[in-house]
Amino acid sequence: MIHKMKTKGYAKHYYLMLLPGFIWLTLFSIVPMFGIIIAFQDFNPGLGMFHSEWIGLENFKYMFTLNDSKTIFFNTIFIAVMKIVANLIVPLIFALLLNELRVTILKRWIQTIVYLPHFLSWVILSGILLDIFSFNGPINAILSVFGISPTLFFARADLFPFIVVGSDVWKEFGFNTIIFLAALTGINPSLYEAAAIDGASRLQRLRNITLPGMITTVILLSVLSLGNVLNAGFDQIFNLYNPLVYSSGDIIDTWVYRTGLLNLQYGLATAMGLLKSVISFTLITTSYFLAAKFANYRIF
Amino acid sequence: MSKSKKCILMLLAAMLVVLPACNNAGSSKEPSKPATQGAQTGESQEEADPFGKSVEPIAIRIGKEIDASDKSLPAGDSPENNQYTRYIKEQLNIDTKIVWQAAAGKDYEQKINLSIASNDLPDALVVKETQFRQMVKSGQLEDLTDVYNKYASPTIKGIVETTNGLALKSVTVDGKMYALPNVTPESDMVHYMWIRKDWLDKLGLEPPKTIDDLEKVAKAFVEQDPDGNGKADTVAISGPQLGGNINADFMNPNNNNYGFDPIFASFHSYPGFWVKDTEGKTTYGSIQPETKQALSKLRDFYAKGLIDKEMSIRKNAQELIKNGTAGIYFGVWWSGGYGPLSDAIKNNPEANWQAYAVPLDSNGEFTPHMGNPSNQYLVVRKGYEHPEAAIKMQNLLYRDESKFDVNVAISNYPLRMVYASMDVMDVTYNMLKEVLAGTKQPEDLDLPGYNLLKADAENIKKVKLEPYDNYDIQYWNPNADIGVWKRMYSTFVGISPLQQPYKKTYSVTYSQTKTMERKWSALDKLEKETFLKIIMGAAPLDSFDQFVLDWKKQGGDEILAEVDEFAKP
Repeated sequence: MIHKMKTKGYAKHYYLMLLPGFIWLTLFSIVPMFGIIIAFQDFNPGLGMFHSEWIGLENFKYMFTLNDSKTIFFNTIFIAVMKIVANLIVPLIFALLLNELRVTILKRWIQTIVYLPHFLSWVILSGILLDIFSFNGPINAILSVFGISPTLFFARADLFPFIVVGSDVWKEFGFNTIIFLAALTGINPSLYEAAAIDGASRLQRLRNITLPGMITTVILLSVLSLGNVLNAGFDQIFNLYNPLVYSSGDIIDTWVYRTGLLNLQYGLATAMGLLKSVISFTLITTSYFLAAKFANYRIF
Repeated sequence: MSKSKKCILMLLAAMLVVLPACNNAGSSKEPSKPATQGAQTGESQEEADPFGKSVEPIAIRIGKEIDASDKSLPAGDSPENNQYTRYIKEQLNIDTKIVWQAAAGKDYEQKINLSIASNDLPDALVVKETQFRQMVKSGQLEDLTDVYNKYASPTIKGIVETTNGLALKSVTVDGKMYALPNVTPESDMVHYMWIRKDWLDKLGLEPPKTIDDLEKVAKAFVEQDPDGNGKADTVAISGPQLGGNINADFMNPNNNNYGFDPIFASFHSYPGFWVKDTEGKTTYGSIQPETKQALSKLRDFYAKGLIDKEMSIRKNAQELIKNGTAGIYFGVWWSGGYGPLSDAIKNNPEANWQAYAVPLDSNGEFTPHMGNPSNQYLVVRKGYEHPEAAIKMQNLLYRDESKFDVNVAISNYPLRMVYASMDVMDVTYNMLKEVLAGTKQPEDLDLPGYNLLKADAENIKKVKLEPYDNYDIQYWNPNADIGVWKRMYSTFVGISPLQQPYKKTYSVTYSQTKTMERKWSALDKLEKETFLKIIMGAAPLDSFDQFVLDWKKQGGDEILAEVDEFAKP
């Protein structure tokens, strides 16, 4: 694994540092995996996983007869793909703009401020968003200045996915900007100097030095986010949605939550969750090979 | 490698030692118990005193729902330590331990569902019907048949019997009783209109009777500035909040405050209920043409701005009532004083909320849907050593409820369930009227089955001012004792409309059938989503027809057949 480290004492520390993460992973990700057998059972909590009645693929068959299944898969992919794309492009452009800023103090300030929302939880942010977009809220007040009659944003199924994506980008772009800024500092400054001496304009430098220098990071980030195609963000949507926007906002995770925890249909909920995991696993595997191919990024 | 492996193993071993130690710290007193316990239960089997004080302290671990807006606990008290828990300790020697607590409503339900799914239950819980069925199916519950027979107090048994076997039937599975059912007063089932009478007076309007009157009044409330602040900021009808229900249904038939049940009922539409059609066949209220009519009316109201624009998105339905922007809402008797009104009159002492059993149907009759007398179930975990403790706590609450300080919300009583004779509120209302008239004295009212009546009779004159037969807000003195006022205002204003005869409609069943366990949630979601969209104008009215087809196809027909089978004698 790690290139034949001769100093064993040195490696021991690394293993020790690995331990908390390893325990966490075992307890919360590996042990619960055995629970997937619930997907093939008529699960009865009193009897437990080992004694509940085995019903094979019954849960899956019922799942595919539900109208909901199609809707939630579509919603999940639609919202997640929009999030992935927007969360790459917006921070990239922002990082490039910020990089051109020559006043260091201002640059640091902006960087810190846009990064702040990342630390707020969706429970808090959803409250703020619901107020801002409420019938008497500031957004409607601004719209009314332009003669647009107020609308109830969170009752509009057609707008909901875009509010979700927009607010997610607003919350996270500061964080992703930092990654891109880090990539920018990795570019050798002597290239810029050489280009400047050769008379290249700012735009030319951007196109011929900055972008090629960042392309590996961009590819890597986009490829790695493939595994998230089925993660549209449970906390966010759960705190923002209501039955009026189920048709465009209900995603796999919220559906699993309602079915399993509110309606006690454990088998059905697990079946849906399992299907999601299988698809995600395929995508992650693919993304790993793509990352290895295009960005030379390897774990194993 | 082997060294680091050892290191990990050591660490894990250390954790194994530490973790159980943590567990023990909490329950270190318990192991000493079993020795004495055998003797003790042996004793109590002979006595079986419903109010007997246990010699050894008994610990009962419970899950508790907490009302976040309740600020009635005095400083230093907590849900685990307050006048009620101390009284239980003093009288019965039972220590209440709250192992988890959750906000009343969805959060509490979800927490119970988690406990069921992980098979990790507290000793006792108050659950709802679907959860009760699930727990029985999972074999998680203690058989309470003997315990009930031995320990339930005669009064509690008497109240359970007033339901003519309905309550016991709902908790008996294969001849065994798996829960103690509650009994709610009939008045908890009836929803009607609450309205700002001071606004009506100001605009020179009569209280509405029919749905058309209601529309006219609502329109006036929106357009004619009833609060007189010169701004068009009033809303006529307050609607359900985020996660609230437009209408009650057979599983949650009671206490659907801020829904639109009376409007549906005035069209003889009973969405969510299993009703008999004209040919005597069982059908589902939500798919009837009457429901389409009612939805069409509600849609019209909403479009005209008579219903709160932000219904079902607003976080708290009481908001508009408290801050004086709404003039009408629908609810049961206790949604008055016990609801938002104590805050509403704090903000505006002239807010004169009165209740009327309206809107009426086309024949001028009030035709509400009725509920089930039992909607809460006290269950005990299988294997808990003291199932009688939970029952004794109910005995004690019922016997001594009137001794407590009414200013501390009764919801702080651990495992509190509503126990009341079906007619309790009507009796209370009529007897208190006699007390006010001087024809009855509080001493005459120590009646079995009406535990609060005497205390009510002693308190009524504290808050009610003359003339006694006028219930308008200016003839009350809430400041004398707000706790008493809440109860009395709810009783007088809320129960008086129910003194007229009205036509009751019951659901064929109030519990789930086999197929429902699997398919109901999808159907229920379809229904709620469709209705909300129709009312709020996000879908055309005719999407109702598609809903009916989908509903039948996706399992509705199958379920209807089951319910029809169930309805056959």
